[in-house]
Amino acid sequence: MRGLSDLVGKLCEASVQDFYSPYAGLDWPEKLEDDAWYFSPELISLFGSEAYAHLDAQGQKRLSFHEAVNFFSLNIHGERSLIEGLAYRLYRKGNDDYTRYLHHFLDEENKHMVYFGTFCVRYAAKVYPDKKMVLPRDYASGEEDFLFFAKVLIFEEIVDVYNKRMAADPRLHPIAREINRLHHRDESRHLAFGRRLVKELFDRHSPGWAPEVLSGVREYLGDYIRSTWQEYYNPAVYKDAGLPNPYDVQKEALSLPSCRSRHEQVSRPWLTMLLRQGILTEDPYHDD
Amino acid sequence: MMTEAEIRQKLREWVVRQSGKIRPEELADDTAIIEKRIIKSVRIPDLILFIEEHSGRTIDVEQLKPGVFRNIDTIYRNFFAVKAHGPGPEKA
Repeated sequence: MRGLSDLVGKLCEASVQDFYSPYAGLDWPEKLEDDAWYFSPELISLFGSEAYAHLDAQGQKRLSFHEAVNFFSLNIHGERSLIEGLAYRLYRKGNDDYTRYLHHFLDEENKHMVYFGTFCVRYAAKVYPDKKMVLPRDYASGEEDFLFFAKVLIFEEIVDVYNKRMAADPRLHPIAREINRLHHRDESRHLAFGRRLVKELFDRHSPGWAPEVLSGVREYLGDYIRSTWQEYYNPAVYKDAGLPNPYDVQKEALSLPSCRSRHEQVSRPWLTMLLRQGILTEDPYHDD
Repeated sequence: MMTEAEIRQKLREWVVRQSGKIRPEELADDTAIIEKRIIKSVRIPDLILFIEEHSGRTIDVEQLKPGVFRNIDTIYRNFFAVKAHGPGPEKA
């Protein structure tokens, strides 16, 4: 755990240096104009679909606003679960090497929720509801901790690709770019921590797991990757954007080769890492 | 509008398709799909969207009681049969 401990020290220092208030520095417009992009067109879930092609430029921009609200809503729900899980792990036995970083992690996730929530409530008057439920079950030793941090890592890896691209996209409204930029700034540290910790936890606990536990963990992560991507295809978004038959639109988009290739392209770097580390043994894009 | 038998059949087909581990003849309407891990928690968002699409209602996850997804019977009773007895949740 020496490597993790050294990394934690560096990340704590960087978090202290980068400390900021989520209530200052963001210039919130009173009202958002209709004629602007809030989500990069190529990242819109329906990009490449017939439903998207039939929208005029204004309709595509309207959809981009609702996609941004969905993306920020997904982040709010992901971060709420993350905050609960991080708080639960503070000062627990076995976490001594990284508890001090959990304080920064918690603080920064709470700040992200402030600006994601402000955007959603101020401009859309809502946060799209969370559809996830955690059903209680028994875990093997270390399995719950490993799955918690592995899911956090997968969720944040996907989000970070979107953040980086949208922060650098000059077509986007400045407030959308700035929220994506701020989020990426903290997430790059969280990802460095997550990549190291997930491997450490896997190496520490998986040798003691029965074969059916190990195969169950891998199957669960494969399902989690698919399920995380599906959340980007929200029929409620399509309905709010004025598209007819939102459930059919969702199914059409999810079946498109272009959507699948976008998922694969965004996922490839961290997927390669998880496969190389032996955490996953099957590539989710080569078996279905 | 679908009949009760058609809705139950669609639910059974969905469970078999999503699970990939159970044959149609092995699934009864009282088979414990969550407890037996035929459907895992990670599939619940898909199940909720499937129910919303076919019931025409938006499901508020925060209001759900434990056990609503226990089997086909509980799913039918909680999300489809209640339609005739009251206003229910907001329309999708």
